Order: sequence, then C-alpha cells, then structure tokens
Amino acid sequence: MATNNEVIRVEHVVKEFDGGVRALDDCSLTVRKGEVVAIIGPSGSGKSTMLRCLNLLEQPTSGKVYVDDVDITAKGVDLDKHRRKMGMVFQHFNLFPHMTVKKNITLAPVRLKLKTQKEADAEAMRLLQRIGLPDKADAYPAMLSGGQKQRIAIIRALAMEPEVMLFDEPTSALDPEMVGEVLDVMKELAHVGMTMAVVTHEMGFAREVADRVIFMDSGKIVEVNTPDELFDHPQHERTKLFLSKVL
Amino acid sequence: MWWSNLFADMSPASFFNFSFLPKYAVFFRQGIEYTLLLAVCSVALAVIPALVLALMRLSKSRLIRGLSGAYIAVFRSTPLLVQLSIIYFGLFGMIHIPRYSLFGFVDLSRFIPGVVALALNSSAYVAEIFRAGILAVDAGQMEAARSLGLSKWDGMQLVVLPQAIKNVLPAIANEIVTMVKESSICSVLGMAELMFGAKAVASSTYITLAPYTMAALIYFCINYPASKAIEAIERRMRRGDKQ
Repeated sequence: MATNNEVIRVEHVVKEFDGGVRALDDCSLTVRKGEVVAIIGPSGSGKSTMLRCLNLLEQPTSGKVYVDDVDITAKGVDLDKHRRKMGMVFQHFNLFPHMTVKKNITLAPVRLKLKTQKEADAEAMRLLQRIGLPDKADAYPAMLSGGQKQRIAIIRALAMEPEVMLFDEPTSALDPEMVGEVLDVMKELAHVGMTMAVVTHEMGFAREVADRVIFMDSGKIVEVNTPDELFDHPQHERTKLFLSKVL
Repeated sequence: MWWSNLFADMSPASFFNFSFLPKYAVFFRQGIEYTLLLAVCSVALAVIPALVLALMRLSKSRLIRGLSGAYIAVFRSTPLLVQLSIIYFGLFGMIHIPRYSLFGFVDLSRFIPGVVALALNSSAYVAEIFRAGILAVDAGQMEAARSLGLSKWDGMQLVVLPQAIKNVLPAIANEIVTMVKESSICSVLGMAELMFGAKAVASSTYITLAPYTMAALIYFCINYPASKAIEAIERRMRRGDKQ
C-alpha cells in the first residue's frame, strides 16, 4: 500500500454507543507526517469521539484505523505498543494527582523500560525547562494552575517521544487568560514539525497553525480543506452556518 | 398493675451492679484484647482477597465477574453465625489445628477458625468498598495511563489503585469497628472474647445482667471514639482533596 507518509489512516469508521446513538457515521481521514490537522465542529458532532478512535480509547463499531500502515483494530495487535507512538492531551489534563510533576512525566518511559529513571529525569527536566516550569518538578498537580497542568500534560505525552500528538479540546477547560500559554506550547510543537491532530474550538489557532481543517457535524466529516479555503470559501451549507456563528 | 411483679427482682440498680469487678476484671481485660485481635486480624486478612474480588467484579469476563458476584452474594445474604458454624465445624472439622495458646488465653484451635470465618465474611463487604473506591476514581486517569502505552494492569496498579485505596481507608477503618461488634458472635463457639467473658462472669457470679451492661459499655467506649476519629480523618481528607 502506498504510504504517502501517512501516520494515521482512518477508513469508514462507525461508532455507535449503547442505546444506538451513532456518534461517528462512516468517517475516513488521514494524518500525514509533520502535518497539523485541526478538527472543528459544533458540540456533539463527534469530534472528540473521532480523535479517541485514533488511539482506540474508543473502540469503533466498524471500520479500520491504520497507524504506520498497521491495522490496530485487528485482533491480536499489541495496542499498548502502538499507543506509545500517539501522545494524547485531554481536556481535563488527567495528570496523576498522587505523583509529583516529575514522576508524572517519567512514569511511563521508565515503566516501559524505554529509559532508566536517571535518563527519564534528565529528559523531564529538559522538557520542563522548555515550557518554563523547571521549578515545578517536585510539585503535585493540585498546586498548579490549569494552564500549568495542561502544559505539563503535553510534555508528559512528549516524554514518550511519540510520532503524533492528539489533542482533545486542550484549552476548553482553561480560564481564558491561560489559553494563550497552552496554545503557544502547541504552536512551538507544530513549528518543530510534530505531527498533530487537534480537536479545538480555537478557530484562530486552527487557521494559523493547521495545514488542513476538518469540519464535522452530526457524526459525519462534512468538509476537509486548507484553513484559508475552509474559513474563507466554505463549500457546504452546514460549514457556512457553523462558521457564521463562531467567527 | 398486673405486670409489676414481673420485674420484681429487677431494680434499675441491677443494671449497674458491678460488684463482680474487683474479682473478675481480668475476664473483661482479656476479652477486650481477644476482641480487638479478632477484629484487626480478620479485616487485615480480608484486604487482599477483597481487592482480588473487587478487581474480578470489574473484569470484562462475565465468568470472572459472576464468580466474584456469587461469593459476595453468598456472604452478604447469609447470617454470620451460620457462616461461622459451617466454617468451624465443616472446614476446620477437617483441618486439625494444635491446641496452642497465644498470650496464655487465645486458644489457636478456636481463634484461627474464628478469624478465617470473619475474614471470609468481611472480604465480601470490603470488596464492595474497594469496588466503589475504584469506580470513584475519574475514568480519565485510566485513559491517560493507557494513552501513554501502559497496560491495563499497570494503569490499575500505578494510577487507579493508589488513589482508590486512599479514598477507601476510612471505610476500611469502619469495617474494623463493625467487626469489633460482629465478633461477639464468636462467643457462641467458645472464643474467649469480650462477650464470652461477660457470659462467663454472669454464670459464675449469678449476676445475670450487669456483666452484659459492662460489656456494652466497653464496646461503646471502643467503637464510639474510634468512629468519631475516623469521621474527623475523613473530613480532613476531603478538605485536602479540594486544594
């Protein structure tokens, strides 16, 4: 199969929740190496479910998800191994509250024997330096602001040296004055060539940073285009309607 | 009144006729020690099986869930006295334990079956405490662990359980308080705990009521401060979580 540098390829994914709610209806998309893909759309459109299907936190009802051309929905696939390649950042941070910041960052790399504790500690300090929080290494998450928590959640995922980063509404739970600091870290990541899939309500970020924007509505991918095209010349009525409300 | 002579020999004072105390205090002292030993040992022994039962209860496999559910159902839906009798006469009728005395008054051939029965019973209740504690940890915690590539077991062991156990510590301390009371039933099988001590005093002194009042007072003086202390710790823990 031709790869075209595809890191993730989703084919005809359907997700039905118990009770017959169809959250995703025949969705297909690709994420290429070094690319930033933004997923936008109204609440309940299936954006987050789509993103969570990429690392199978949500098991698709049908359809296939390929990571590096391996079908991770197939039986017998070592899912944990593939998940290591996909860092994820959640709306509510999900830092481990009983561990220090440093331990949060080093837990997985050390546990999975990718690094020794010493190497992981050094890497954690380097990452903390990068986001300007080296003095928080020994703090517990409860002592941090939302913006700090989210930046640390980002570098916790980076410590696994993933091929792609998934962001699930990373700024939606933040106080407005903290949104900027988190977006700045994400922009910097995009600049250094990280492959990213970002579910977001930040249209400015999508427009500035994304290479492609996916608009979803009612569980369907309605439109995919470059940000300039999608925001300035939306093709579909639903896209126009949505953009007229948020821009 | 027609009923007044029913209580002819029961004056309010007879509730508190503690004249036996100077001679028989040792029965109560040993009874307290035996009771506390029973309660603490049985809950301590129940913790590991309870954790296993709780994890089984949350398993994906229906069979494993069912097995654990059945165990919990049986032990929660039959009286402790019945369980105790079956374990004492059934299980320990087959296993011989030497008559060895601990501290001079804890006869192991009776104590061990008692502790095992109480622990098996308690594990059913503690399992439900653990299950609730595990479910109370935000689902995002496990998702974060899995998204980092950690296995389900690693996520449970390193991320979810430490938080769950901290949350359920007060409930487990309460289970010890419950066991202090429930273990009084072991007196039926001749275990020399507090209730047994009271009975022994009553039959040797022919003072039928006051030894039991004494036992009640002692149970109260152990359990009430203990549960108040647990409440205070719980309140402080909740305040700590909010920070």
